[in-house]
Amino acid sequence: MVDALVVADLNKSFKTPAVQGLDLVVRTGELYALLGPNGAGKTTTLRMVAGLLAPDSGSISVFGIDVLKSPLEAKKVIAWAPDEPMLYERLTPLEYLEFVAGLWNVPPALAATRAEDLLQTLGLWEDRNRRCEGFSRGMQQKAALAGALIHDPKLLILDEPLTGLDAAVARQVKDLLQARVAAGATVILTTHILEVAERMADRIGIIQAGKLLAEGTLDELRARTAGQGGTLEDIFLELTGDQGALRA
Amino acid sequence: MAQILRGTTAGLLFHELRLSWRAVLARSGGGVRGLVIICLVIMVFTGVAGVPLGFFLRNYQLPISRLTIILSDLGLLAVASLMVSQTLSSATENLYQRGDLDLLFTAPIPPRKTLAARFMALAVTVFLTFALMVSPLLIPVAIISHPSWLAFYLVLASTALGAAAMGLALSTFLFRLIGARRTRAVAQFLAAIIGASFFLVSQVNTFFGRSQSQGIWAQAKALALDESFKLPPGADIPLRAMMGQPLVLLGYTLGAIILFFGVSSWLGDRFAADATMASGADTANAPIKAQAARWDTSAFQATFRKELRLLWRDAALVSNVLLRTLYLIPLAYLVIRSARGDTGLVLAAAAGGLVFMSGQVAGTLAWITISAEEAHDLLAGSPTRQGVFRRAKLAAAYLPMVIFLAPLLAYLVWVAPVAGCFALGGCIASAITCGLINIWYQKPSKRKDFRRRKGSSWFATLAEASVAALLGMGTTFATLGNPWAILPALLAIGLMVLLRRSDAQIALALED
Repeated sequence: MVDALVVADLNKSFKTPAVQGLDLVVRTGELYALLGPNGAGKTTTLRMVAGLLAPDSGSISVFGIDVLKSPLEAKKVIAWAPDEPMLYERLTPLEYLEFVAGLWNVPPALAATRAEDLLQTLGLWEDRNRRCEGFSRGMQQKAALAGALIHDPKLLILDEPLTGLDAAVARQVKDLLQARVAAGATVILTTHILEVAERMADRIGIIQAGKLLAEGTLDELRARTAGQGGTLEDIFLELTGDQGALRA
Repeated sequence: MAQILRGTTAGLLFHELRLSWRAVLARSGGGVRGLVIICLVIMVFTGVAGVPLGFFLRNYQLPISRLTIILSDLGLLAVASLMVSQTLSSATENLYQRGDLDLLFTAPIPPRKTLAARFMALAVTVFLTFALMVSPLLIPVAIISHPSWLAFYLVLASTALGAAAMGLALSTFLFRLIGARRTRAVAQFLAAIIGASFFLVSQVNTFFGRSQSQGIWAQAKALALDESFKLPPGADIPLRAMMGQPLVLLGYTLGAIILFFGVSSWLGDRFAADATMASGADTANAPIKAQAARWDTSAFQATFRKELRLLWRDAALVSNVLLRTLYLIPLAYLVIRSARGDTGLVLAAAAGGLVFMSGQVAGTLAWITISAEEAHDLLAGSPTRQGVFRRAKLAAAYLPMVIFLAPLLAYLVWVAPVAGCFALGGCIASAITCGLINIWYQKPSKRKDFRRRKGSSWFATLAEASVAALLGMGTTFATLGNPWAILPALLAIGLMVLLRRSDAQIALALED
């Protein structure tokens, strides 16, 4: 089976290097958590995968499609949901989904059904005709997530999807993501909530200074580090060398 | 400085003025270059107009007569109205886009004090705007012939203080009367209408023609001089204050200060409470009339409809659009009048003006639809070519103009085919070129940051104006049958070639 994402020798610099020679493989149908300290290059990497940022060098392939050579083809199967919801405050959730469905050219009947399903699942159906400007952070995040899912993406990329969400909404989002993975989709997410990665992710990648430090299942990561049987937090701190900073 | 004054009203005022100053710098292209250009323009204007006027008025003594009193009162009323429209608009923006108000309200400082500083800063900003406009004339006149006229600055500052108090009072009153949500829309429309009405009054010559408009002014003058029309007591105060009569000036200034501090201490706490309520009102927005969703749309249609919806639902932007379109009315009227007559030169000039203004209006609207994009990443991440979005956004920007201009241009083509065809071609070229400049030099930003053309680069604005002016000039010459029309047209094309940015260059600029 073709891998969902293959990143090879990826480089991107702004004033300083953000991503340096990154190699990454995400298998089809897995939930992959990309972890790293602030400024590690997670968002830059994912923005390049989503076709929002051009790399300086390297290659990115999504389900065998070269993102750099055929960006439009690749974008058809990708959904990108950043931590700040990509919403129009003066549109209603239904109008927003109508707009996004138009961008991905979703067949009308399918778009209508999916919109209703998504809004029902995420508890936004009653608010479908209210403008998003009055929504809470959680509601806005859910509306944006519905937009990301309206074209049924094969690869869902989420940057800090649980930031600022209350426990109930966070649970809804996590359930939805797991349901997507169960249905065969691939999910890549970044998070600072290590517990989420520990519980949800099939595999975890830890990135620092634009380089992949370690990758694998939780057990594989445990095996790689000196502190056997530790939590993901212990592993993460040991790998990124932040323990001293934490103690200080 | 801020350290010394922290927590005091003066400290808060310093903070507010620093923020305002940085906003001015940001608007002028993020540096002092824009301000230097403004200063140069002012200096040139001072030399060309102010100094000669100063010498012209050297032996002139302004009489305190019925006519001068009425004129000064009306002038000050006009200035005060414009100031109130600005302060009212800013006051309601403060209610909704509170920015750092939450931070300031949680600090152990009375909200009354915080708001007094904010409104005082608003008065200072408004005062400086008007002071900047009159300075090229007033300063040379004061230096050369009438030093006491410098008192006008104090009158202006006092009026700004009064206008800030009015803005605060009106916004509080409107908030109580019609509620949180409607206050903003009403305030924005009110501000736009005041601005537009002054513009339209200034165009009375265009509407009625020179002879008829002179008749109107003569009638107004006769009415003003009619003794049976009694002036209210104190009507001469503004004029006497402007001329620098010490006691009157002191009274005027003290009156404004008392009004300002009276209103801010009376309504300050209430305004703070309203600001808190306005925040809650936004989360309780009423459902809008449900419309059947249209799923059978292409990316172009979806984007076009989205842009129109967003434009229509933003009262500030709608009033901005209307205001821009209103600027076309006098030109349109001139075109209609001259097309019926045989005034070739006037018709050619009006056609050129129409082309220039079309470019300016199209440029402003295109700036809003292209750069006011809240979900830029959503569009960039979709499998749709960026060209589709650009075309849809430009189409949405051009729609209000097309609605306004199409009947006028059709009429012109019918009545004066040569002028009509050149004007039609010129308007299309001007709108397209100004739209393209906005695509090449776009700066995506949140829609709520687009109350004015904030963030727009001086370079792009200047380029837009230059290309539109060249095309307008070309249209004028072409309408007159002058072969030199080709020269400005070629210059405009050359400028566009120089300005052009490829998709890759645009993407690179956006990355920065």
